[in-house]
Amino acid sequence: MFLSFITDLFQQDFMLRALIAGIMLGVLAPLLGTFVVVRRLSFIADTLGHFSLVGISVSLFLSSIGVAAFFDKPLYLGIIFSVIGGLLVELFRRSYNNFQEISMVIVISLGAALSAIFFSLSKKTGSLYNYLFGSILTVTNYYIILILVTAAIVALLFILFGKQILAVSFDESSAKFLGINVNLFQIVFIIMLSIVVSVLLESAGVLLISSMMVIPVAAGMKLGWSYKSTLIISIIFSELSVFFGLWLSYSLNIPSGAAIVSINIVILLFVAIIKRIILKSRISKMDKLQ
Amino acid sequence: MQININNLSFAYGAKTIISNLSLTLNSGDYLVIRGKNGSGKSTFIKCLLGFNLVKSGMIFYDKVDITSFKSWTKFGYVSQNFDDFNYEFPITVGEVLQISSLKKNSESNRLRLLEKMGIFDIINQNINSLSGGQLQRVFIVRAMLNSPEVLILDEPTASIDKQNKEFFYSTVEELHQEGITIILITHNDDIEELNYTHLLSMYSDLTTSYEERGVELTEGVL
Repeated sequence: MFLSFITDLFQQDFMLRALIAGIMLGVLAPLLGTFVVVRRLSFIADTLGHFSLVGISVSLFLSSIGVAAFFDKPLYLGIIFSVIGGLLVELFRRSYNNFQEISMVIVISLGAALSAIFFSLSKKTGSLYNYLFGSILTVTNYYIILILVTAAIVALLFILFGKQILAVSFDESSAKFLGINVNLFQIVFIIMLSIVVSVLLESAGVLLISSMMVIPVAAGMKLGWSYKSTLIISIIFSELSVFFGLWLSYSLNIPSGAAIVSINIVILLFVAIIKRIILKSRISKMDKLQ
Repeated sequence: MQININNLSFAYGAKTIISNLSLTLNSGDYLVIRGKNGSGKSTFIKCLLGFNLVKSGMIFYDKVDITSFKSWTKFGYVSQNFDDFNYEFPITVGEVLQISSLKKNSESNRLRLLEKMGIFDIINQNINSLSGGQLQRVFIVRAMLNSPEVLILDEPTASIDKQNKEFFYSTVEELHQEGITIILITHNDDIEELNYTHLLSMYSDLTTSYEERGVELTEGVL
């Protein structure tokens, strides 16, 4: 079964596309995920995903009433709405400084409500399943190029401003003493995150985006001893999830996004249990020495 | 840098915390702010650092009103319990300092400070594995990395032992001798051994007293 999966991976175009997309998303998701976790905004990807869905539903609605052209690729409006959602979160976050999660609840609720309305008006509720759960096995060459462009933009932003984004993420209030324009970097980060979330939406789906971003990081944090090591471990876990998730999806004919996230959870549990066993054995060794 | 506070008043909603506080600090001064919990010390510092927004005309840095002041790199700040920094996510001391030293010329300064603070050997350690004293030294190095003119330390000895406390005060004294303006907040009364030049005492009834060492200058009452 595994051998036929490997063979098909390189012989079937759709499998190869899924693998390439998965490998790139396997790096992008935890890379952004570390920042999201450091800033204690783990639900933000869900929030942006819901708002991205508004763009997709509006696009489907406009196309249903004959306004096609630009709207034949719903992801375009999805990206624009995700950025709007991100800016709304940032706006509300500033008004509820000590209750930052409120900002996400407001935006996620608005996103869910507007999506439901426009999907209903477009009479294309059938496509909702794909957007909720995604499918990496059906991605097109066009989507691969879109991920490549996104990855290039993210890489460029990190090369230019990685240090500043990290400084603001770890300690927003002290960043201004380093000469950083905190507001500008918050906005750069939120726009970058919004774009990545929209791009992830097609393969992971609204409901599983957060999992792809946060769970590998949660597992990486258990083993990492530095920011760099945590990021590398998270990316390795993420890539393992993509590969074995695709295999699971291929073998059992189950949705790919769900399979990838399930493997992510299995890795997290495995790491947590192993770490606990190691800690217990160290404690008992120390007790014996005393 | 000269700091002028001119009839500073601040309230959280209807609750007044600071009332008509005035003082002047010159470059190289060492101000100790003393007061019990709830007397408004940290609120005052948040006003000074622009975290609490104050009205125009109340705080000036080198004659520039705080509402239009931009040169925040002139300040180094160590917050109470370092709680603004998310040190629960794995990050080494070296990485913390790396992301905090945005000037290209701060590498030699970083090495000098690490040596001075005796934390060279913990550079590769995860900061969430450090003791309170070590953590404090790391955050002082971080605040000093970009050679600030003013160093503000909020309740720095609250969670460290006696030995680290002595080391901390002698380090602050050395930095003061190097010409850095120091603003140190404490709720302790045993400040006589500190070599401060100015003392601001804040009380929970909104009264304050400000004195230059040896000479009482002003007293404010609501």
